[in-house]
Amino acid sequence: MSASFLHPAMGFLALALVAPFVPRDLWRQKALRATLVLIPPLLALFSVMTVKPGSYGLLHYLGQELVLGRVDKLSLIFGQVFSIIALIGMIYSLHMEEKTHYVTGALYVAGGLGCVFAGDLITVFIFWELMSISSVFLIWGAGTRESVLAGFRYFMYHTVGGLFLLAGLFLKYKATGSFAFDWAAPDVARYYDWLILTGFCVNAAVVPLHAWLPDAYPRASVAGAVFMCAFTTKTAVYVLCRGFHGWNVLAIAGTIMAVYGVLYACIENNARRILAYHIVSQVGYMVAGIGIGTAMTMNGAVAHAYAHILYKGLLFMGTGCILYAVGTARLDELGGLATRLPWVMFWYMVAALSISGMPLFNGFVTKNMTIFGAEEAHRMWLAIGMEVAAVGTFVSVGIKLPYFAFWGRKPEFPGTVRAIPRNMYVAMGICGSLCILQGLFPEMLYRYLPFAVEEPFRPWTVLRVLNASLLLGFSGLAFYLTRVVITPHAKVNLDFDFFYRWIGRLVLAAVCRPIAWLDDRWTKVYRTVGLRGLVKTGAGTAWFDRKGIDTVVDGSAYSVRNIGRAGAKLQSAQLQNYLALAAVFGLGIFFLVWYLG
Amino acid sequence: MTQTFGRLLQHMRDRWKIWRIVFFVVLGVLVGINVLIHPHHAEFGIDAYPGFWGLFGLVSGLAMVIIMKKIIQPLIARKEDYYER
Repeated sequence: MSASFLHPAMGFLALALVAPFVPRDLWRQKALRATLVLIPPLLALFSVMTVKPGSYGLLHYLGQELVLGRVDKLSLIFGQVFSIIALIGMIYSLHMEEKTHYVTGALYVAGGLGCVFAGDLITVFIFWELMSISSVFLIWGAGTRESVLAGFRYFMYHTVGGLFLLAGLFLKYKATGSFAFDWAAPDVARYYDWLILTGFCVNAAVVPLHAWLPDAYPRASVAGAVFMCAFTTKTAVYVLCRGFHGWNVLAIAGTIMAVYGVLYACIENNARRILAYHIVSQVGYMVAGIGIGTAMTMNGAVAHAYAHILYKGLLFMGTGCILYAVGTARLDELGGLATRLPWVMFWYMVAALSISGMPLFNGFVTKNMTIFGAEEAHRMWLAIGMEVAAVGTFVSVGIKLPYFAFWGRKPEFPGTVRAIPRNMYVAMGICGSLCILQGLFPEMLYRYLPFAVEEPFRPWTVLRVLNASLLLGFSGLAFYLTRVVITPHAKVNLDFDFFYRWIGRLVLAAVCRPIAWLDDRWTKVYRTVGLRGLVKTGAGTAWFDRKGIDTVVDGSAYSVRNIGRAGAKLQSAQLQNYLALAAVFGLGIFFLVWYLG
Repeated sequence: MTQTFGRLLQHMRDRWKIWRIVFFVVLGVLVGINVLIHPHHAEFGIDAYPGFWGLFGLVSGLAMVIIMKKIIQPLIARKEDYYER
């Protein structure tokens, strides 16, 4: 391994390895915990800011040459924003003492960073799966029954997505003899490219493969959701940008996502689910930009991913504060929180205006770049779709959510409001300041954009500011006129997961019933044949045992019993534990190879 | 600081009628500016007319809310325990 590149994921993997062995009373000390968990993101940030582009971290694994560190402008900008949001997310979590949260959070971040710097599909796959397993624990961190169920659904869904990717990369290897992760030209695409694309699209939440997202994210733990909203979909945006830019199917799918997400957010009641649908919508802009595939739209997609990670993290932090303080994020139960949690409202509004593309905030300088690029490429219908989505975004996230949570028709929230830990405010302050700074000084962000354009995009022209103000101002008027109609109701809205559940039931019927039948028969056979044989052998060994070996074996019997106990502990029949164990083993093997290779 | 800010918001909330007037005035001023400043060659053709983006926001916002809440939601909304049963 080259010494000149400290892989940004390394610190997080080290944290995940070390944290379980830190004594509990030491871990409870906030200062020590803060030092430990803030070092990895700071190291990662230092690494991405100082490294020179190139190929690092070559590794022999499974008989292949793997590239762990492909460093270029595209991977660096994603690495940079991932490090920043990991730092903010860790600060937001600091009041928590659960080690599981930090360990799985760190593994999750490591998975995202690993994918971004991966130079081949095997490495992508390994980190992809690491991300998928560890994020399940961030969902379970909520500790509710519905989060446990949602976690299993999420895991099954991502396993299927991962299998598409795995099948695609193996078939590609068979056809081309290489695991290289490069651009696939759309006009000569083969079936394996489509399989890989499908695997990526599951994580990018491309409609109709998106329903895992609004199912799982609103049920995740308060701080877990902050991590999750940044990494899974944006890693998918990165790999799509790397491997599938210029695919027209993505241009259309992305615009559909942008509109679909806002339509569902318009009728949703749960604040965090509104935000989840808006991830689908916002990622839609990025997918569309990647699909159109000009330097301008791809820069727009990358810039928007950067801005989105910041403001979406801030939105989830704000609604997380509400959930933390009053125990619910359902708009029909909220209202009148503005006077109780004024600073939460302030930072939430910074994020809400950012996502809406309001001048002064970072969404304005990134969203309009993608739309401008679409117009420049003469994709008028796509541009119109994105403008409609912009209207819907402001109506739902910019006005509806804060209106019903912080104001409503209640003068003051009647229930008890738990005090928000200071570290949560600090995290929101950092994130919100970045949103504003990038809006005011777009060059802060633009200088890192990976693709060269002939004429750079200038967001701050009089006409653009005027158009954006008109669009948002009159969207606000539309809300004002429909404020009674739009009042949220405590209902669940059917989405594509309705069909997933049916598929699940069919698979259950097709697979489990025959297996249960087989198991039943086997038990009967074993009882009649196997048991009789065992009894006879037993009688024989008992005689042998009594006659001679008793004294010798006693010692080993104890050790066998102890091993058995340990085994019984591991075999708790709780799928969560099996999953964690499998992940630990997998990582252990990978580490050994990394270290020895 | 939190209390002061909270009280300030309370104070602003009690004068919501003033804010409504401010809002309408701002909308009017924006359209007024758009009459003076408008693009020479617009992207879509019709967006050269003053107030186009205002109309676009208003119409698509109204249509979205009314269609989704009044037509689509009654079709796809179920009781909250729908998947639990």
